[in-house]
Amino acid sequence: MTDPVNAARVGADRPPVIVYEDVVKRYGGFVALNGVSAQVHQGEVVCLIGPSGSGKSTLLRCTNALEPIEGGRIVFEGGTLPTPALAAPVRRRMGMVFQNFELFPHKTALENVAIGPRTVLGTDKAVAEEKARALLAKVGLGDKAASYPSELSGGQQQRVAIARALAMEPEVMLFDEPTSALDPETVGEVLNVMKRLAEEGMTMIVVTHEMTFARRVGNWVVVFDKGRVVEEGVPRQVFEAPREQRTRDFFSHLAWNG
Amino acid sequence: MTYDWSVLWQYRGAFLSGVGTTILLSVLTMAIALPGGVLIMLLRRSQVAPVAFLGTAYVEFFRNVPAILLVYWTFYVLPIVAAVDIPPFTTGLLALALSVTAYNAEAFRAGVSSIRQGQWNAGLALGMTRSQTFLKIILPQAVSRVVPAIANNWVSLFKNTSLVSVIAVGDLAYNAMQVRSQTYRILEVLTALAVIYWALGFPQAKFVDWLQKRYGVKE
Amino acid sequence: MLEFDFSPLVESWRFLALGLSVTLGLAAAVIVSASLLGVLVGVGRVYGPRWLRVLLTFYVDSMRAVPVLVVLVWTFFAFPLAVGITLPPLIAAFVALTFHVGSYVSEIVRGGIESVRTGQMRAALALGMTTGQAIRQVVLPQAAIRMLPPYATIVTMTIKETAVSAVIAVPEFMRSSEVVSSQSLRPLEVYTVALVVYFLLMFPVARGVDRIYRRLAHLGRS
Repeated sequence: MTDPVNAARVGADRPPVIVYEDVVKRYGGFVALNGVSAQVHQGEVVCLIGPSGSGKSTLLRCTNALEPIEGGRIVFEGGTLPTPALAAPVRRRMGMVFQNFELFPHKTALENVAIGPRTVLGTDKAVAEEKARALLAKVGLGDKAASYPSELSGGQQQRVAIARALAMEPEVMLFDEPTSALDPETVGEVLNVMKRLAEEGMTMIVVTHEMTFARRVGNWVVVFDKGRVVEEGVPRQVFEAPREQRTRDFFSHLAWNG
Repeated sequence: MTYDWSVLWQYRGAFLSGVGTTILLSVLTMAIALPGGVLIMLLRRSQVAPVAFLGTAYVEFFRNVPAILLVYWTFYVLPIVAAVDIPPFTTGLLALALSVTAYNAEAFRAGVSSIRQGQWNAGLALGMTRSQTFLKIILPQAVSRVVPAIANNWVSLFKNTSLVSVIAVGDLAYNAMQVRSQTYRILEVLTALAVIYWALGFPQAKFVDWLQKRYGVKE
Repeated sequence: MLEFDFSPLVESWRFLALGLSVTLGLAAAVIVSASLLGVLVGVGRVYGPRWLRVLLTFYVDSMRAVPVLVVLVWTFFAFPLAVGITLPPLIAAFVALTFHVGSYVSEIVRGGIESVRTGQMRAALALGMTTGQAIRQVVLPQAAIRMLPPYATIVTMTIKETAVSAVIAVPEFMRSSEVVSSQSLRPLEVYTVALVVYFLLMFPVARGVDRIYRRLAHLGRS
């Protein structure tokens, strides 16, 4: 393929990990997701972009069954997602990273990474901690195992949070604006960890405002507006030749806001 | 066991007068403890260290002793010190006032100190004096913190008036205990006592919740 | 001119010390059992089904509405009649104070839980924890640290309430002071010393808890 704008989707020939079928989510009278359909294939990095309040983060929380949906369905590895109350077995196969890190403040970095396997899988303490150490080293924080979250910078906390999610050996990683709460100088270290993860073939769904990341690391970009998918495509097509006016509007606002 | 609830109606006068005394005692105590609390708070804010210490010592002492012991203490000790007879109602009132004043002073202090230093600076920067800043800027903001706390103190006080029953002041608890020993209808009378307090206190507790919600107090 | 005579206190020091130990033992027992009750009630009020929440709220608000003296007196005199048993004063005081203090503990527990960000619950669930695991492992430990400063109030409140149990003749410190006072006819000395003893008992609690909290605060700050 010589025309990168019309390049084929890299994951198209691989099995889908997550399929959204006409998903509807309401908060009272407000429609947060108004019939969203999309697919995420194995090994893909799918970036969800769009204005604030357009439903990207909501979709991610619904993907992890943290919130119920009112219509449509979400299929994960061939099975329809259960209701939130019954979702624990499904959630342990997905990793999630939050905007505000949500590390557990009463646990050290090591304990934060080990708590998932320890509590959920009943892994032996020594085994879980050995694995946690390896994961902390992987995100470049091998020397911070004994630190509490309050002693770490935002970027360090978010890297611990990524290690915590990886400790469950998830089949897919969900990132909910992982760098929005960070100081500008620590954004890079988190994006680098994510990039390395992508290169290892991890399936990732990333809600982000980092357009450079979406463009360089993403394989597929989905543009949201007002609870709907406006358009989707390979990054170069979406960024260089957007098909929809609303996508162009979104990019022009970004330009204004830096 | 047979129950005889008619004694309650028969002795309704004792219950009613008890309720009256309880309310009167609460109102009078608060009437003393509100200005008393302001006074102690001002002492604590004094620039003169020994005065401020006195204020703090007062608050810490009276918040850290049992009110029932204060009731006994004033009852026995005050007449000795003053060398005159003082009716139990008055010594009970004084005991409660000493205690509630300390709690009110703390409520005022917490309310005033919850206002950011920046608000003081903003007032002073406009050319206001310290007392102008206090009255026009700080106090109106502190009210929203102070009102729920004082209401809370009121509810505690209302319940604590029952402690004066131990020195034979004819409040609701004392009168009920008297009816109990005259009629031997222990279960009926004491259950009525609890229900009356509940009927009076429950709306007050709910009112405090409402105030805290209204003023957005987070505990 | 006032004359002071502290000799009755000196003569009865064993009796008073015994009373003080009953106060401390009763307060400790009540704090432990009220804490257990308070955690159950507090958790039930936040996470329980609607009918349970209504029931528990009614219990807590009722305890806030009724004086501890009335709870004590009712538990000691009236309750045994209703069910046909006899309760020794110490047991009656333990039960009554547990239910009274427990309701206050539950309010603090509830406040602590509700102050933990919802994101913490989400993060725990996202790891695959059950709601119960998330409450025990993530929410309650943080809530516990946030509960420390108001907990100092619970401790002093409990000690104060044990003094009220003198009205049902529990042989604690207030009661023994009363006895010594009426036998010796030196109420001024006896009650003044009792005030000081109670103050010395309670004052360090608030300070001690404050110091511990300042060291642990960061563990509860999510």
